Amino acid sequence: MSLMLTCPVCGRRNGYEFRYGGEDKGPRPEEDGLTPRAWCDYVHMNRCAAGPVKEWWFHRDGCGSWFTTWRDTTTNLEIQPPEDSE
Amino acid sequence: MTENQRQSPVQFSVPALDAEERDRWPVVLEYADEGEGPDLVDLSHLTRWDLQDRDLQQFRPGGVVVPERPGSCAFGNGVLVNRMNRTQASIWHLNPGEPPGPPSESALTDVTEATVFLALFGPGVFSIGEKLTALDLSRPEPKPPFLIQGPFSRVPCQIVVLERSGETDGGLLFTCSRGYAADMVDSVLSAGREFGLRPAGEKAFLRWLSSVFPETE
Repeated sequence: MSLMLTCPVCGRRNGYEFRYGGEDKGPRPEEDGLTPRAWCDYVHMNRCAAGPVKEWWFHRDGCGSWFTTWRDTTTNLEIQPPEDSE
Repeated sequence: MTENQRQSPVQFSVPALDAEERDRWPVVLEYADEGEGPDLVDLSHLTRWDLQDRDLQQFRPGGVVVPERPGSCAFGNGVLVNRMNRTQASIWHLNPGEPPGPPSESALTDVTEATVFLALFGPGVFSIGEKLTALDLSRPEPKPPFLIQGPFSRVPCQIVVLERSGETDGGLLFTCSRGYAADMVDSVLSAGREFGLRPAGEKAFLRWLSSVFPETE
């Protein structure tokens, strides 16, 4: 499936220019009281949702920026953020 | 002590008519059989720096203010400064005079020998560009000079559109990793053959540069 992504610096570009950076899991957990299991889950576990997912992407062949965007994994299309994520 | 010779990764298969050595770089000033344009010029000997810092506005490379918006460029005192993203800018010294010497700030890195640096200018340049990239080099906005970063002949490049006149004429400068130099030059010359593209020396580049920026004369 083809993929187009919108880089905040360069604009809409071919997906081949980007490197996938994984799901956006929110901020790094506080280290106070962090258990090995909780840290392992943060690092390795993913939602793997079928539908809208917020992801990190890196514009490898372009400006070198890291950014987050929303993609519907069932259609492979970039989408507007769902309202409840705002 | 032995002095290392510096070598451009580009070798045109055309005899040089005029050449000189500058800062240990062999520099071709003029090639045999240069045409009326378009021209492809190897500028790999010109000093290039990368600037990286969380606050780029505090730097004045060559006395030039780093542009605020990514994709925009500023030119002054023979120095072209291209804003790449939030934290990086590339600095290209286009003046062939005395090289600026090693950068004094820790935020600056000399990348002259890490990349190849080419100029492509003259009639039909943007038609040649259309054969090599899906990037819109001839878009009406913004006004040149501006920076586009993306694949050119499938190789990640920094491309500065320096001049645009009419539909297809103008000129651009671009860099990519040094290892792609031979294939990049080959593909650009192949794409430009139907438009009369030929290798040219530094003199042709300086004539074009002074037509774009008359203050460099």
